[in-house]
Amino acid sequence: MDRYSFSLTTFAPNGKLLQIEHALAAVGNGSTSVGIKAANGVVIATEKKTGSSLIDISSLEHMAMICDSIGMVYSGMGPDFRVLVSSARKMAQAYYKTYMEDPPVRILVKELASIMQEFTQSGGVRPFGVSLLLAGVDERGPNLYQVDPSGSYFPWKAAAIGKNMVNSKTFLEKRYNSDMELEDAVHTSILTLKEGIEGQMTEDSIDIGIISIATGVQETDTKPVFKRLTSAEIKDYLSNIA
Amino acid sequence: MSSRSANAGYDRHITIFSPEGRLFQVEYAFKAISNAGLTSVGVRGKDSAVIATQKKVPDKLIDASTVTHVFRITPFIGCVMTGLDADGRNQVTRARQEAAEFKYKYGYDITPDMLAKRMANINQVYTQKAFMRPLGVSMVIIGWDEERGPQLYKTDPAGYFAGYRATAAGAKHQEAFNYLEKKLKGEGPASVEDTVELAIATLSSVLSANFKAQDLEIAVVTKENPQFRILSTDDIDAELMRIAEKD
Repeated sequence: MDRYSFSLTTFAPNGKLLQIEHALAAVGNGSTSVGIKAANGVVIATEKKTGSSLIDISSLEHMAMICDSIGMVYSGMGPDFRVLVSSARKMAQAYYKTYMEDPPVRILVKELASIMQEFTQSGGVRPFGVSLLLAGVDERGPNLYQVDPSGSYFPWKAAAIGKNMVNSKTFLEKRYNSDMELEDAVHTSILTLKEGIEGQMTEDSIDIGIISIATGVQETDTKPVFKRLTSAEIKDYLSNIA
Repeated sequence: MSSRSANAGYDRHITIFSPEGRLFQVEYAFKAISNAGLTSVGVRGKDSAVIATQKKVPDKLIDASTVTHVFRITPFIGCVMTGLDADGRNQVTRARQEAAEFKYKYGYDITPDMLAKRMANINQVYTQKAFMRPLGVSMVIIGWDEERGPQLYKTDPAGYFAGYRATAAGAKHQEAFNYLEKKLKGEGPASVEDTVELAIATLSSVLSANFKAQDLEIAVVTKENPQFRILSTDDIDAELMRIAEKD
Protein backbone atom coordinates (compact mmCIF):
# COMPACT_ATOMS: atom_id res chain seq x y z
CA MET A 1 0.00 0.00 0.00
CA ASP A 2 2.89 2.40 0.66
CA ARG A 3 3.63 3.54 -2.85
CA TYR A 4 6.10 6.24 -1.85
CA SER A 5 9.56 4.74 -1.78
CA PHE A 6 11.34 8.06 -1.38
CA SER A 7 11.73 10.25 1.66
CA LEU A 8 9.63 13.41 1.92
CA THR A 9 12.12 14.95 4.34
CA THR A 10 15.14 15.96 2.29
CA PHE A 11 18.07 18.36 2.70
CA ALA A 12 17.70 21.96 1.58
CA PRO A 13 20.72 23.61 -0.07
CA ASN A 14 21.68 25.19 3.26
CA GLY A 15 21.84 21.80 4.94
CA LYS A 16 18.62 22.07 6.88
CA LEU A 17 15.87 19.44 7.07
CA LEU A 18 12.94 21.79 6.68
CA GLN A 19 10.19 19.26 7.45
CA ILE A 20 11.72 18.82 10.90
CA GLU A 21 11.86 22.56 11.44
CA HIS A 22 8.21 22.81 10.40
CA ALA A 23 7.34 19.97 12.77
CA LEU A 24 8.95 22.00 15.56
CA ALA A 25 6.76 24.93 14.52
CA ALA A 26 3.74 22.66 14.98
CA VAL A 27 5.02 21.86 18.47
CA GLY A 28 5.35 25.58 19.13
CA ASN A 29 1.68 26.02 18.28
CA GLY A 30 0.67 23.55 20.96
CA SER A 31 -0.19 24.11 24.64
CA THR A 32 2.75 24.48 27.00
CA SER A 33 3.99 21.53 29.02
CA VAL A 34 6.58 21.59 31.79
CA GLY A 35 8.55 19.06 33.78
CA ILE A 36 10.71 19.30 36.89
CA LYS A 37 13.06 16.70 38.35
CA ALA A 38 13.07 16.91 42.14
CA ALA A 39 15.39 15.20 44.58
CA ASN A 40 12.76 12.59 45.41
CA GLY A 41 10.67 12.39 42.25
CA VAL A 42 9.54 13.98 38.99
CA VAL A 43 6.51 16.06 38.03
CA ILE A 44 5.13 16.77 34.54
CA ALA A 45 2.26 19.11 33.85
CA THR A 46 0.38 20.52 30.88
CA GLU A 47 -2.35 22.96 30.03
CA LYS A 48 -5.54 21.27 28.86
CA LYS A 49 -7.00 23.55 26.27
CA THR A 50 -10.54 22.73 25.21
CA GLY A 51 -11.99 24.68 22.35
CA SER A 52 -15.49 24.50 23.76
CA SER A 53 -17.31 24.04 27.03
CA LEU A 54 -19.27 21.25 25.35
CA ILE A 55 -16.31 18.89 25.32
CA ASP A 56 -16.42 16.20 27.99
CA ILE A 57 -13.00 16.87 29.59
CA SER A 58 -12.83 13.43 31.15
CA SER A 59 -12.61 11.93 27.66
CA LEU A 60 -9.35 13.72 26.85
CA GLU A 61 -6.05 11.97 27.62
CA HIS A 62 -3.21 14.49 27.67
CA MET A 63 -1.10 12.65 30.15
CA ALA A 64 -0.37 8.99 29.63
CA MET A 65 1.08 6.29 31.82
CA ILE A 66 3.43 4.16 29.76
CA CYS A 67 4.20 1.62 32.46
CA ASP A 68 4.12 1.77 36.25
CA SER A 69 7.33 3.72 36.52
CA ILE A 70 7.08 6.03 33.48
CA GLY A 71 4.63 8.76 32.44
CA MET A 72 4.51 10.96 29.36
CA VAL A 73 3.08 14.33 28.31
CA TYR A 74 3.33 16.26 25.05
CA SER A 75 3.07 19.58 23.24
CA GLY A 76 1.87 19.66 19.66
CA MET A 77 -0.53 17.45 17.72
CA GLY A 78 -2.77 15.27 19.85
CA PRO A 79 -3.39 12.54 17.27
CA ASP A 80 0.36 12.04 16.75
CA PHE A 81 0.78 11.75 20.52
CA ARG A 82 -1.71 8.88 20.65
CA VAL A 83 0.35 6.91 18.17
CA LEU A 84 3.51 7.39 20.25
CA VAL A 85 1.72 6.44 23.46
CA SER A 86 0.68 3.14 21.88
CA SER A 87 4.22 2.50 20.64
CA ALA A 88 5.76 3.37 23.99
CA ARG A 89 3.37 1.09 25.86
CA LYS A 90 4.10 -1.80 23.53
CA MET A 91 7.84 -1.23 23.87
CA ALA A 92 7.59 -1.20 27.65
CA GLN A 93 5.70 -4.49 27.63
CA ALA A 94 8.17 -6.07 25.22
CA TYR A 95 11.00 -5.06 27.56
CA TYR A 96 9.12 -6.50 30.52
CA LYS A 97 8.57 -9.75 28.67
CA THR A 98 12.33 -10.17 28.22
CA TYR A 99 13.65 -8.79 31.50
CA MET A 100 10.72 -9.10 33.95
CA GLU A 101 11.26 -5.44 34.88
CA ASP A 102 10.01 -2.05 33.73
CA PRO A 103 12.47 -0.46 31.29
CA PRO A 104 14.85 2.19 32.63
CA VAL A 105 13.68 5.58 31.39
CA ARG A 106 16.69 6.19 29.15
CA ILE A 107 16.15 2.87 27.35
CA LEU A 108 12.51 3.67 26.58
CA VAL A 109 13.49 7.17 25.51
CA LYS A 110 16.09 5.80 23.09
CA GLU A 111 13.61 3.45 21.46
CA LEU A 112 10.91 6.12 21.14
CA ALA A 113 13.42 8.59 19.74
CA SER A 114 14.49 5.97 17.23
CA ILE A 115 10.91 5.61 15.99
CA MET A 116 10.56 9.36 15.66
CA GLN A 117 13.80 9.51 13.68
CA GLU A 118 12.55 6.81 11.31
CA PHE A 119 9.65 9.03 10.38
CA THR A 120 12.11 11.72 9.30
CA GLN A 121 13.82 9.38 6.89
CA SER A 122 11.40 6.66 5.73
CA GLY A 123 9.47 6.87 2.47
CA GLY A 124 6.13 8.59 2.24
CA VAL A 125 5.75 9.82 5.81
CA ARG A 126 6.07 13.10 7.66
CA PRO A 127 7.77 13.65 11.04
CA PHE A 128 5.66 13.55 14.20
CA GLY A 129 4.33 16.97 15.18
CA VAL A 130 4.98 16.52 18.92
CA SER A 131 7.69 16.98 21.49
CA LEU A 132 7.46 14.62 24.45
CA LEU A 133 8.38 14.94 28.11
CA LEU A 134 8.94 11.61 29.82
CA ALA A 135 9.11 11.33 33.59
CA GLY A 136 10.16 8.19 35.38
CA VAL A 137 12.03 6.57 38.20
CA ASP A 138 14.52 3.77 37.73
CA GLU A 139 17.59 2.44 39.52
CA ARG A 140 19.42 5.69 38.73
CA GLY A 141 16.74 7.71 40.49
CA PRO A 142 14.34 10.31 39.07
CA ASN A 143 14.59 11.06 35.31
CA LEU A 144 13.14 13.73 33.02
CA TYR A 145 13.69 13.50 29.27
CA GLN A 146 12.54 15.53 26.28
CA VAL A 147 12.20 13.93 22.84
CA ASP A 148 11.84 16.09 19.73
CA PRO A 149 10.31 15.42 16.28
CA SER A 150 13.84 14.95 14.91
CA GLY A 151 14.45 12.05 17.25
CA SER A 152 16.92 14.01 19.40
CA TYR A 153 16.50 13.52 23.11
CA PHE A 154 17.74 15.51 26.08
CA PRO A 155 17.84 14.76 29.79
CA TRP A 156 16.71 17.77 31.80
CA LYS A 157 16.59 18.98 35.38
CA ALA A 158 13.65 21.16 34.42
CA ALA A 159 12.09 21.56 30.99
CA ALA A 160 9.36 23.36 29.09
CA ILE A 161 7.97 22.71 25.60
CA GLY A 162 5.22 24.23 23.50
CA LYS A 163 3.89 27.72 23.05
CA ASN A 164 5.35 29.43 26.08
CA MET A 165 8.60 27.48 26.37
CA VAL A 166 11.03 30.39 26.23
CA ASN A 167 9.44 32.33 29.09
CA SER A 168 8.78 29.15 31.03
CA LYS A 169 12.40 28.06 30.80
CA THR A 170 13.58 31.45 32.08
CA PHE A 171 11.08 31.18 34.92
CA LEU A 172 12.30 27.67 35.77
CA GLU A 173 15.99 28.61 35.65
CA LYS A 174 15.37 31.17 38.38
CA ARG A 175 13.42 28.85 40.63
CA TYR A 176 15.15 25.51 40.19
CA ASN A 177 17.52 24.05 42.75
CA SER A 178 18.72 20.48 42.92
CA ASP A 179 17.49 19.73 46.44
CA MET A 180 13.93 20.64 45.56
CA GLU A 181 11.35 18.27 47.03
CA LEU A 182 8.53 16.84 44.89
CA GLU A 183 5.89 18.95 46.64
CA ASP A 184 7.79 22.15 45.84
CA ALA A 185 8.34 20.96 42.30
CA VAL A 186 4.59 20.48 41.78
CA HIS A 187 3.99 23.95 43.18
CA THR A 188 6.64 25.46 40.91
CA SER A 189 5.34 23.68 37.83
CA ILE A 190 1.86 25.09 38.48
CA LEU A 191 3.31 28.59 38.83
CA THR A 192 5.25 28.13 35.59
CA LEU A 193 2.14 27.09 33.68
CA LYS A 194 0.18 29.93 35.23
CA GLU A 195 2.56 32.46 33.63
CA GLY A 196 1.50 31.36 30.19
CA ILE A 197 -2.20 30.63 30.71
CA GLU A 198 -4.68 33.21 29.53
CA GLY A 199 -7.67 33.52 31.78
CA GLN A 200 -8.45 31.49 34.85
CA MET A 201 -6.51 28.41 35.87
CA THR A 202 -8.81 25.77 37.31
CA GLU A 203 -8.37 22.17 38.37
CA ASP A 204 -9.91 21.15 35.06
CA SER A 205 -7.66 23.23 32.82
CA ILE A 206 -4.36 21.59 33.79
CA ASP A 207 -3.15 18.01 34.02
CA ILE A 208 -0.40 17.02 36.47
CA GLY A 209 1.40 13.69 36.81
CA ILE A 210 3.92 12.73 39.45
CA ILE A 211 6.17 9.86 40.33
CA SER A 212 8.18 9.71 43.51
CA ILE A 213 11.13 7.49 44.34
CA ALA A 214 10.49 4.62 46.65
CA THR A 215 10.66 5.88 50.17
CA GLY A 216 8.80 3.10 51.86
CA VAL A 217 9.78 1.59 55.15
CA GLN A 218 7.62 -1.42 54.47
CA GLU A 219 8.14 -4.01 51.74
CA THR A 220 5.00 -2.91 49.94
CA ASP A 221 6.08 0.71 49.57
CA THR A 222 9.05 0.05 47.36
CA LYS A 223 7.62 0.32 43.88
CA PRO A 224 7.28 3.84 42.47
CA VAL A 225 4.11 4.30 40.42
CA PHE A 226 3.30 7.15 38.03
CA LYS A 227 -0.01 8.73 38.84
CA ARG A 228 -2.13 11.54 37.51
CA LEU A 229 -3.39 13.93 40.15
CA THR A 230 -7.16 14.03 40.55
CA SER A 231 -9.13 17.25 40.13
CA ALA A 232 -9.53 17.46 43.89
CA GLU A 233 -5.79 17.16 44.49
CA ILE A 234 -5.02 19.83 41.89
CA LYS A 235 -7.63 22.08 43.48
CA ASP A 236 -5.76 21.78 46.78
CA TYR A 237 -2.51 22.85 45.18
CA LEU A 238 -4.21 25.76 43.44
CA SER A 239 -5.70 27.01 46.67
CA ASN A 240 -2.19 27.30 48.12
CA ILE A 241 -1.18 29.74 45.44
CA ALA A 242 -1.72 33.42 46.12
CA MET B 1 15.37 31.13 7.37
CA SER B 2 13.34 31.85 4.27
CA SER B 3 15.04 29.13 2.15
CA ARG B 4 12.65 27.09 0.06
CA SER B 5 13.40 23.41 -0.17
CA ALA B 6 12.85 21.02 -3.05
CA ASN B 7 9.42 20.33 -1.51
CA ALA B 8 8.23 23.86 -2.18
CA GLY B 9 4.54 23.85 -2.98
CA TYR B 10 3.99 20.17 -2.15
CA ASP B 11 2.83 21.03 1.35
CA ARG B 12 -0.50 21.83 -0.25
CA HIS B 13 -0.73 18.53 -2.13
CA ILE B 14 0.20 15.88 0.41
CA THR B 15 0.25 15.82 4.17
CA ILE B 16 3.68 17.25 4.92
CA PHE B 17 4.24 20.25 7.16
CA SER B 18 4.00 23.84 5.95
CA PRO B 19 6.61 26.31 7.27
CA GLU B 20 4.26 27.36 10.07
CA GLY B 21 3.81 23.77 11.15
CA ARG B 22 0.37 23.30 9.60
CA LEU B 23 -1.00 20.45 7.51
CA PHE B 24 -2.81 22.07 4.61
CA GLN B 25 -4.35 18.84 3.32
CA VAL B 26 -6.02 18.31 6.67
CA GLU B 27 -7.29 21.89 6.69
CA TYR B 28 -8.64 21.49 3.16
CA ALA B 29 -10.39 18.29 4.23
CA PHE B 30 -12.24 20.35 6.85
CA LYS B 31 -13.28 22.78 4.11
CA ALA B 32 -14.65 19.88 2.09
CA ILE B 33 -16.93 19.02 5.01
CA SER B 34 -18.36 22.54 5.07
CA ASN B 35 -18.72 22.63 1.30
CA ALA B 36 -21.03 19.63 1.35
CA GLY B 37 -23.65 22.04 2.67
CA LEU B 38 -25.30 19.95 5.40
CA THR B 39 -25.15 20.38 9.16
CA SER B 40 -25.55 17.69 11.82
CA VAL B 41 -25.83 17.84 15.59
CA GLY B 42 -25.50 15.41 18.46
CA VAL B 43 -26.78 15.84 22.03
CA ARG B 44 -26.19 13.69 25.09
CA GLY B 45 -28.85 13.85 27.79
CA LYS B 46 -29.05 12.13 31.13
CA ASP B 47 -30.54 8.90 29.80
CA SER B 48 -30.25 9.28 26.07
CA ALA B 49 -28.13 10.40 23.16
CA VAL B 50 -29.52 11.84 19.94
CA ILE B 51 -28.11 12.65 16.49
CA ALA B 52 -29.97 14.74 13.95
CA THR B 53 -29.14 15.94 10.46
CA GLN B 54 -30.77 17.65 7.51
CA LYS B 55 -32.20 15.51 4.76
CA LYS B 56 -31.83 17.31 1.48
CA VAL B 57 -32.87 15.33 -1.59
CA PRO B 58 -31.12 17.10 -4.49
CA ASP B 59 -33.52 15.99 -7.23
CA LYS B 60 -37.23 15.10 -7.26
CA LEU B 61 -36.49 12.00 -9.31
CA ILE B 62 -34.28 10.54 -6.58
CA ASP B 63 -35.85 7.89 -4.37
CA ALA B 64 -35.84 9.73 -1.06
CA SER B 65 -35.75 6.54 0.99
CA THR B 66 -32.27 5.79 -0.30
CA VAL B 67 -30.82 9.14 0.73
CA THR B 68 -29.37 8.82 4.20
CA HIS B 69 -26.41 10.00 6.27
CA VAL B 70 -27.30 8.03 9.39
CA PHE B 71 -25.83 4.56 9.74
CA ARG B 72 -25.94 1.75 12.27
CA ILE B 73 -22.52 0.33 13.13
CA THR B 74 -23.41 -2.20 15.83
CA PRO B 75 -26.77 -2.90 17.49
CA PHE B 76 -25.87 -0.32 20.15
CA ILE B 77 -23.74 2.17 18.21
CA GLY B 78 -24.59 4.37 15.24
CA CYS B 79 -23.33 7.50 13.56
CA VAL B 80 -24.15 10.43 11.33
CA MET B 81 -21.64 11.21 8.56
CA THR B 82 -21.15 14.81 7.46
CA GLY B 83 -19.11 15.76 4.42
CA LEU B 84 -18.26 13.86 1.24
CA ASP B 85 -20.81 11.06 0.89
CA ALA B 86 -18.47 8.52 -0.65
CA ASP B 87 -15.78 9.09 1.98
CA GLY B 88 -18.51 8.75 4.60
CA ARG B 89 -19.61 5.36 3.30
CA ASN B 90 -15.96 4.25 3.24
CA GLN B 91 -15.58 5.14 6.91
CA VAL B 92 -18.83 3.50 7.92
CA THR B 93 -17.83 0.27 6.19
CA ARG B 94 -14.48 0.38 7.98
CA ALA B 95 -16.14 1.13 11.32
CA ARG B 96 -18.42 -1.86 10.87
CA GLN B 97 -15.42 -4.07 10.08
CA GLU B 98 -13.51 -2.81 13.12
CA ALA B 99 -16.50 -3.40 15.39
CA ALA B 100 -17.05 -6.90 14.03
CA GLU B 101 -13.36 -7.83 14.39
CA PHE B 102 -13.38 -6.53 17.94
CA LYS B 103 -16.39 -8.69 18.81
CA TYR B 104 -14.75 -11.72 17.22
CA LYS B 105 -11.40 -11.20 18.94
CA TYR B 106 -12.54 -10.24 22.43
CA GLY B 107 -16.01 -11.74 22.76
CA TYR B 108 -17.86 -8.58 23.74
CA ASP B 109 -19.27 -5.55 21.91
CA ILE B 110 -16.95 -2.65 21.24
CA THR B 111 -17.85 0.46 23.28
CA PRO B 112 -18.52 3.85 21.62
CA ASP B 113 -15.36 5.42 23.03
CA MET B 114 -13.12 2.59 21.79
CA LEU B 115 -14.68 2.70 18.34
CA ALA B 116 -14.24 6.48 18.19
CA LYS B 117 -10.59 6.13 19.23
CA ARG B 118 -9.97 3.42 16.62
CA MET B 119 -11.51 5.52 13.82
CA ALA B 120 -9.56 8.57 14.98
CA ASN B 121 -6.33 6.57 14.94
CA ILE B 122 -7.07 5.46 11.38
CA ASN B 123 -7.65 9.11 10.43
CA GLN B 124 -4.30 10.02 11.99
CA VAL B 125 -2.51 7.60 9.69
CA TYR B 126 -3.88 9.45 6.66
CA THR B 127 -2.44 12.69 8.06
CA GLN B 128 1.02 11.23 8.39
CA LYS B 129 1.45 8.93 5.41
CA ALA B 130 1.49 10.41 1.95
CA PHE B 131 -0.10 7.49 0.12
CA MET B 132 -3.67 8.27 1.17
CA ARG B 133 -5.38 11.62 1.59
CA PRO B 134 -7.38 12.46 4.71
CA LEU B 135 -11.11 11.67 4.36
CA GLY B 136 -13.44 14.62 3.95
CA VAL B 137 -15.89 13.57 6.64
CA SER B 138 -16.63 14.11 10.29
CA MET B 139 -18.18 11.15 12.13
CA VAL B 140 -20.52 11.82 15.07
CA ILE B 141 -21.03 8.60 17.02
CA ILE B 142 -23.71 7.83 19.59
CA GLY B 143 -24.05 4.64 21.50
CA TRP B 144 -25.15 2.99 24.70
CA ASP B 145 -22.35 1.93 27.02
CA GLU B 146 -23.42 -0.71 29.57
CA GLU B 147 -21.30 0.86 32.28
CA ARG B 148 -21.42 4.54 31.42
CA GLY B 149 -24.81 5.07 29.81
CA PRO B 150 -25.36 7.31 26.77
CA GLN B 151 -22.19 8.32 24.89
CA LEU B 152 -21.52 10.94 22.21
CA TYR B 153 -18.21 11.20 20.32
CA LYS B 154 -16.95 13.03 17.27
CA THR B 155 -13.95 12.26 15.05
CA ASP B 156 -12.53 14.53 12.36
CA PRO B 157 -10.00 14.44 9.48
CA ALA B 158 -7.18 15.58 11.77
CA GLY B 159 -7.36 12.37 13.77
CA TYR B 160 -8.71 14.28 16.77
CA PHE B 161 -11.56 12.85 18.81
CA ALA B 162 -13.32 13.72 22.02
CA GLY B 163 -16.42 12.91 24.03
CA TYR B 164 -19.08 15.62 24.08
CA ARG B 165 -22.18 16.71 25.93
CA ALA B 166 -23.27 18.16 22.60
CA THR B 167 -21.55 18.66 19.27
CA ALA B 168 -22.06 19.66 15.66
CA ALA B 169 -20.45 19.08 12.28
CA GLY B 170 -20.82 20.52 8.80
CA ALA B 171 -21.49 23.86 7.17
CA LYS B 172 -23.01 25.63 10.18
CA HIS B 173 -21.18 23.78 12.94
CA GLN B 174 -19.74 26.92 14.53
CA GLU B 175 -23.17 28.53 14.86
CA ALA B 176 -24.54 25.28 16.23
CA PHE B 177 -21.73 25.09 18.81
CA ASN B 178 -22.45 28.64 19.96
CA TYR B 179 -26.16 27.85 20.27
CA LEU B 180 -25.52 24.64 22.20
CA GLU B 181 -22.94 26.21 24.51
CA LYS B 182 -25.53 28.77 25.57
CA LYS B 183 -28.27 26.21 26.05
CA LEU B 184 -26.06 23.82 28.02
CA LYS B 185 -24.58 26.29 30.48
CA GLY B 186 -26.32 24.51 33.31
CA GLU B 187 -27.61 20.98 33.56
CA GLY B 188 -28.23 19.18 30.31
CA PRO B 189 -31.60 17.87 29.12
CA ALA B 190 -33.02 15.19 31.40
CA SER B 191 -35.73 13.44 29.44
CA VAL B 192 -35.44 11.78 26.05
CA GLU B 193 -38.00 14.22 24.62
CA ASP B 194 -35.99 17.21 25.80
CA THR B 195 -32.82 15.82 24.28
CA VAL B 196 -34.49 15.27 20.92
CA GLU B 197 -36.07 18.70 21.16
CA LEU B 198 -32.73 20.38 21.78
CA ALA B 199 -31.21 18.67 18.74
CA ILE B 200 -34.08 19.76 16.49
CA ALA B 201 -34.16 23.26 17.96
CA THR B 202 -30.43 23.67 17.30
CA LEU B 203 -30.81 22.78 13.65
CA SER B 204 -33.89 24.99 13.28
CA SER B 205 -32.10 27.92 14.83
CA VAL B 206 -28.84 27.82 12.89
CA LEU B 207 -30.50 26.95 9.58
CA SER B 208 -33.40 29.37 10.12
CA ALA B 209 -35.81 26.72 8.97
CA ASN B 210 -39.08 25.23 10.07
CA PHE B 211 -38.65 21.56 9.42
CA LYS B 212 -41.13 19.07 8.07
CA ALA B 213 -40.62 15.43 9.01
CA GLN B 214 -39.12 14.56 5.63
CA ASP B 215 -36.42 17.24 5.96
CA LEU B 216 -34.81 15.58 8.98
CA GLU B 217 -33.05 12.40 9.94
CA ILE B 218 -32.94 11.53 13.64
CA ALA B 219 -31.54 8.56 15.55
CA VAL B 220 -31.48 7.82 19.28
CA VAL B 221 -30.21 5.51 21.98
CA THR B 222 -32.04 5.61 25.31
CA LYS B 223 -31.92 3.90 28.67
CA GLU B 224 -35.28 2.26 28.03
CA ASN B 225 -34.29 1.23 24.56
CA PRO B 226 -30.48 1.10 24.34
CA GLN B 227 -30.44 -0.21 20.79
CA PHE B 228 -29.51 2.32 18.11
CA ARG B 229 -32.81 3.30 16.54
CA ILE B 230 -33.38 5.45 13.46
CA LEU B 231 -36.70 7.28 13.75
CA SER B 232 -39.24 6.81 10.99
CA THR B 233 -40.84 9.79 9.26
CA ASP B 234 -43.95 9.22 11.40
CA ASP B 235 -41.89 9.22 14.60
CA ILE B 236 -40.22 12.46 13.55
CA ASP B 237 -43.62 13.94 12.72
CA ALA B 238 -44.86 13.05 16.20
CA GLU B 239 -41.84 14.78 17.79
CA LEU B 240 -42.33 17.93 15.69
CA MET B 241 -46.03 18.02 16.59
CA ARG B 242 -45.20 17.64 20.24
CA ILE B 243 -42.75 20.54 20.06
CA ALA B 244 -45.25 22.70 18.16
CA GLU B 245 -48.01 21.99 20.67
CA LYS B 246 -45.74 22.88 23.55
CA ASP B 247 -45.59 26.47 22.40
